[in-house]
Amino acid sequence: MTSGVTNVSVAQVPPGTSLFRARGTSSDIEARPITAVLPLPVRLNSAAPRRYYLYLMAPAIAVLAFISLYPFVWLIVMSLQDVGVGAGEWVGLKNYTRLFNDVRFLEGWVLLAQYSAMCLALQLSIGLLLAVIVNGARWEKFLVTALLMPMMMAPAVAGLVWLFLYNGTFGWYHWLFQSLGWLDSGSILSSTDTAMLAIVLVDVWQWTPLITLIALAGLKRVPQDQLEANMVDGASPLRNFFAITLPNLYPVLLIAIMLRFMDNFRFIDAALVLTGGGPADSTKILPIYLFEVAFKFFKLGRGAAIALTLLVVTIILGKLLVRIFEKPKSERV
Amino acid sequence: MARISINKVWKYYGTSPAVRELNLECDDGSFVSILGPSGCGKSSTMRMIAGLEHISAGDILFDGQRINDLPPKDRDVAMVFENYALYPHKSVFDNIANPLRLRGFAADKIKERVTSATKLLEIDHLLNRRPSELSGGQKQRVAIGRAIVREPKLFLFDEPIAHLDAKLRAHMRGEIKHLQRSLGTTMIYVTHDQLEALSMADMIAVMHDGELQQWGTPSEIFNRPVNAWVAGFVGEPAMNFLSAELRSEGGNTVLTHPNFNIPLLPQQVALVNGSAKREVRMGVRPDALSISTTRPDGPVIEGRIYVTELLGGDMLVDVQLADARIRVKTSTDFTGVADDACYMTVNRDKWHLFDIEDGHAYF
Ligand SMILES: Nc1ncnc2c1ncn2[C@@H]1O[C@H](COP(=O)(O)OP(=O)(O)OP(=O)(O)O)[C@@H](O)[C@H]1O
Ligand SMILES: [Mg+2]
Repeated sequence: MTSGVTNVSVAQVPPGTSLFRARGTSSDIEARPITAVLPLPVRLNSAAPRRYYLYLMAPAIAVLAFISLYPFVWLIVMSLQDVGVGAGEWVGLKNYTRLFNDVRFLEGWVLLAQYSAMCLALQLSIGLLLAVIVNGARWEKFLVTALLMPMMMAPAVAGLVWLFLYNGTFGWYHWLFQSLGWLDSGSILSSTDTAMLAIVLVDVWQWTPLITLIALAGLKRVPQDQLEANMVDGASPLRNFFAITLPNLYPVLLIAIMLRFMDNFRFIDAALVLTGGGPADSTKILPIYLFEVAFKFFKLGRGAAIALTLLVVTIILGKLLVRIFEKPKSERV
Repeated sequence: MARISINKVWKYYGTSPAVRELNLECDDGSFVSILGPSGCGKSSTMRMIAGLEHISAGDILFDGQRINDLPPKDRDVAMVFENYALYPHKSVFDNIANPLRLRGFAADKIKERVTSATKLLEIDHLLNRRPSELSGGQKQRVAIGRAIVREPKLFLFDEPIAHLDAKLRAHMRGEIKHLQRSLGTTMIYVTHDQLEALSMADMIAVMHDGELQQWGTPSEIFNRPVNAWVAGFVGEPAMNFLSAELRSEGGNTVLTHPNFNIPLLPQQVALVNGSAKREVRMGVRPDALSISTTRPDGPVIEGRIYVTELLGGDMLVDVQLADARIRVKTSTDFTGVADDACYMTVNRDKWHLFDIEDGHAYF
């Protein structure tokens, strides 16, 4: 501490001067007028660093183009041709126009819509319910692990397991449903009334845990303070769930729905193993029909056309979903 | 409006107690402040009253009725949360209207109430904004608006203005106090800022480590602290503490210290139970000392100036004693400088003696 500081006493400060500045502030700081023109910098720093990104990314882009873009372009080209096992012949849009008169193609869409809607509705409601129950439960970690089991199984294997469970002579579910009087005669998979429900059930069994898992991650991030504020404001637990929890889950639920409906449009392993589209085409959802056209009858051109329509619809639905979920939620109370 | 009784309430998180046997009686319509440092269990107490936290032991009564097992929505309290807890997807209007909507008020009634609440808080020009588009002070006023828009039995304000700048805080202190007076609703107001508690509350509960230290009016808390901890926590700048010895000298009971020898006032002698020679702690606030560079008459504390600090209208002088440094508040015309010898007289009506063992106050 210099004596200069402590020696300034109040009496020495001229009136009108700030006391604070008077304490040890050197006066030359105040000397420069505010309007003084600053000298220009002697040398400017070099511009932003060079960008190597493009060069670095080029190999990856090339590989990606080769393994992903090339087959996609081929698919489009193929859909405009009549391709069998050998070389194709140019047919223009005929593959597409023919689809509109193809009853099984149109039927396939209806069945796919039914199938996917049922799967999603059941998986979302059950998955969400499970997540709410498991969240914060005493055995949460163990329960989550147990729930994951079905997902670990290859879909075709899951199909086989359920084939046994549904079996008309020794299947456990067959026995159960018959004892409950829900099933009169015949086996579950060979009746047009129940076959669709049966494959939906398998999908629900295998993939509901995924929804639970995603919803659980979302539940952990629901802001606790908003839940509490709403509770003090007078909301019942149920109302709280719909007012705060659910809106906060929208982003993760969107991801879950997207994943699942796209899977429904692609994954047909279990359904193929269980029904193969039968009985009487009652479970011939579009991707199974596509599989038949392309790989049973080797109409690869028509198959490509079906695949492309499937792709376009998937993209449109995806866009639509994002739009719906991103709508401002202020009106929902 | 309600009378709030907190009877022997405990809060355990796992095995560690956050609140220990808390007893409070908040009169109908009173402004009660819970004051204590960070982590002393203030928010835990609030959350138990609001029903957000299970009451580990003891009872909480509203107007004599036990509410331990009532869910939050049936307790009819309005709370301002430490972090505002606004609904980010709702506009300011919808945020404030939320408690009314949940209670099924009619649309025109809601509009009327929200409008008058926002006018009062001077945020009526922000009704269509989202919380993310508000400043901290505005958010806090929205949170207060959400609390006052209906007429609850009880207000719970948990450090509602802790995040504001000093000037806005001073302004809001007045506003909140005025609001509570005009509504006449019982208020429990949590703060760690002793100035807030002293300036606003009718009654203050000082808490430390989950335990209630003192329950009293602001002037009781400030002038008659029950122990050394409360004395040290309340008051800015903080109270000076010195270890001294109590002994009798020629019929007087005298407090001795290497730097002074001061007799107790006659009425104080009775309070220190006996004049046996023993160590005590002496506490005196910076403004209960007067300092001078010339020796005045009567008993004085002798010291040497360590540093002087100018605080606008006042001056703080740090004085070095044999074993400690104490602060004295004086006027700006004090002319002493560092290393000068100085003499302080104690206003003995305003000094305190504490037990050296458990810290309780003799007077
Ligand atoms: N949910 C919890 N789980 C475990 N311990 C907790 C929990 N909430 C609070 N505590 C502990 O209880 C004690 C009191 O916490 P509380 O939040 O009531 O303090 P506070 O007085 O409000 O502090 P602040 O002024 O910082 O808000 C602290 O030691 C804290 O660590
Ligand atoms: Mg707190």
